[in-house]
Amino acid sequence: MENRRILSIIFGIAQSGIGILSGGVTVMLFFNFLEIQTVFNLPTEFMPIYLLVLGLFSLFSLINGFFLVREWWR
Amino acid sequence: MGDEKKQGLFRAVISGLGGAIGFEIFALLNYAYFDLAGPSVLSALFFCSIINLITMLSYSELSATLPEVGGEYTYTKVAFGGIISFMAGCLRWLASIFGGALAAVVFAQQLGVLFSVFAPPIQDLILANTSLLIILVVVILVILAIRGISEADIIIVGGFLAIFVIFLFTSIGYSLAPQNIVPQFSGDGLTKFFATTAYLFPMFVGMRALIASAPKIKNPGKNVPRALLITTILLTVVYFAVTYVAVGVVPIDTPRTASNPPLLNMAAFTILGPIGAVLFAIAGIFASLSSVGTAMSVQSSLLGGMSRDGYLPNALQKLHNRFGSRYIAIIVSSLFVIVFGTTGAAVFLGYAASFGSLLVFALVNLSLIKLRRKMPRLDRPFKAPLYPLTPIAGIIMSVLLLAFPIVLGDVNASGAFLSSLGMVAVVLLTYYLRMVKREIDFDRLRVAVGGICLGTGATLLVMSPSITPLSMFPIIVLVGMLTIIAGLLNIAASAHKPD
Repeated sequence: MENRRILSIIFGIAQSGIGILSGGVTVMLFFNFLEIQTVFNLPTEFMPIYLLVLGLFSLFSLINGFFLVREWWR
Repeated sequence: MGDEKKQGLFRAVISGLGGAIGFEIFALLNYAYFDLAGPSVLSALFFCSIINLITMLSYSELSATLPEVGGEYTYTKVAFGGIISFMAGCLRWLASIFGGALAAVVFAQQLGVLFSVFAPPIQDLILANTSLLIILVVVILVILAIRGISEADIIIVGGFLAIFVIFLFTSIGYSLAPQNIVPQFSGDGLTKFFATTAYLFPMFVGMRALIASAPKIKNPGKNVPRALLITTILLTVVYFAVTYVAVGVVPIDTPRTASNPPLLNMAAFTILGPIGAVLFAIAGIFASLSSVGTAMSVQSSLLGGMSRDGYLPNALQKLHNRFGSRYIAIIVSSLFVIVFGTTGAAVFLGYAASFGSLLVFALVNLSLIKLRRKMPRLDRPFKAPLYPLTPIAGIIMSVLLLAFPIVLGDVNASGAFLSSLGMVAVVLLTYYLRMVKREIDFDRLRVAVGGICLGTGATLLVMSPSITPLSMFPIIVLVGMLTIIAGLLNIAASAHKPD
């Protein structure tokens, strides 16, 4: 049980970190900071799809990580 | 509040005009004239005012019957309650967000027009840093809103009307005869006409500010419907006259670039020269600042109301210790305004604001019908004439105006509609999460999210060889495996939970 709690907090933090990072990339893609669209060579017509997919991935990663961290917190 | 402190009919009309006359006339006419309906934008404006009037009759009855703070949210809460009232409140909030974002974009545009006369290099600087400028102005207005600084609507309305009168008076010497005012019904003419009507709708919806101030109005049962009718007539006359002049002096085939000023500014420049351009730029700046400020006030009031009723977290109704404003609600709303405002996508924001308002209008008309059936003996100082034709007509027109721009294949309209649907989905999810109290439902949510992450991680692992470059492959594999394990842990935690 204790091992599971430790695993939960580790993977919860990692998953939340992934969520935050992918959210950050989504924002950077949206605003084209540092010409990131050119760096990744992304076609403009598919940009809404990329933003949607990345945004949803970020959201669910954050929620998933939150649940794991919450379990450790309780 | 005693009667002697309440506002009379004149003040009520000013309130309606102040809410309606704003940045929209600077923001929306461009696309409507040059890209959609051409000179028949005039007919679209007139049609818009008729549709608005129909729904305002429903608003009149509801505000006279339920003269409480809250507007659409209150009406739908009394009529339906539950998810419908939450949806109405959120849609109203979203429409205000998009409207506030569009106002911020217009502010930047008008500031650019102002400097184009005095200092063109500064205009280039403004155009290159529009996003930063929008963030700056919203932050300043947030601080003012938290401190409770209110706008002087009489002065602003008076100022606008004075500028428009000067504009109309000086146009008398011009031979104005815009062609094709009546829409062409061949080809896609009819669709474009209705799309234009939908797009221009935000020009009228601001008069709802009059409804919001109904509790402060003397004898609201009589004065609010009268004020609504007078405001609608005055607005229609002003908008029609100003647009008629603008369309008459600016040919539809005027070459346009990214730095072209809005239609009204071009018309003012043609008639009055640089002074006209400056005058209208100043009017546009004041209009947009006033609109962003009003939007923040409306947004915080809506969020506070929904928070008070338990739909949203309690923090949103928290008042500032010193200024007494709902500072958390103001900050949350302003973040959304900043995100959407910095896109600079004026046409998208125009449609999005319009769609939100049209959906709210449909719900208000439905609420009128529901209340007539649910509470037939309720005291109604004013009754909408020709019931049930007026609310039914209001609902049908709202739905048609939502549909036509999408039928036209307007990319901005489709994008705005899909975004609105996405927002509705988020609203529904928020309602579900907020109303979930029992632990067992929380566990189901946890299993669902865990399952989504399991599937996402598996998809990443399977697809990574074909979609990622070689350099990113190890990172994507690691992310995929982390996501799978995290998903499994959530599913397993729920399975091991004692009953």
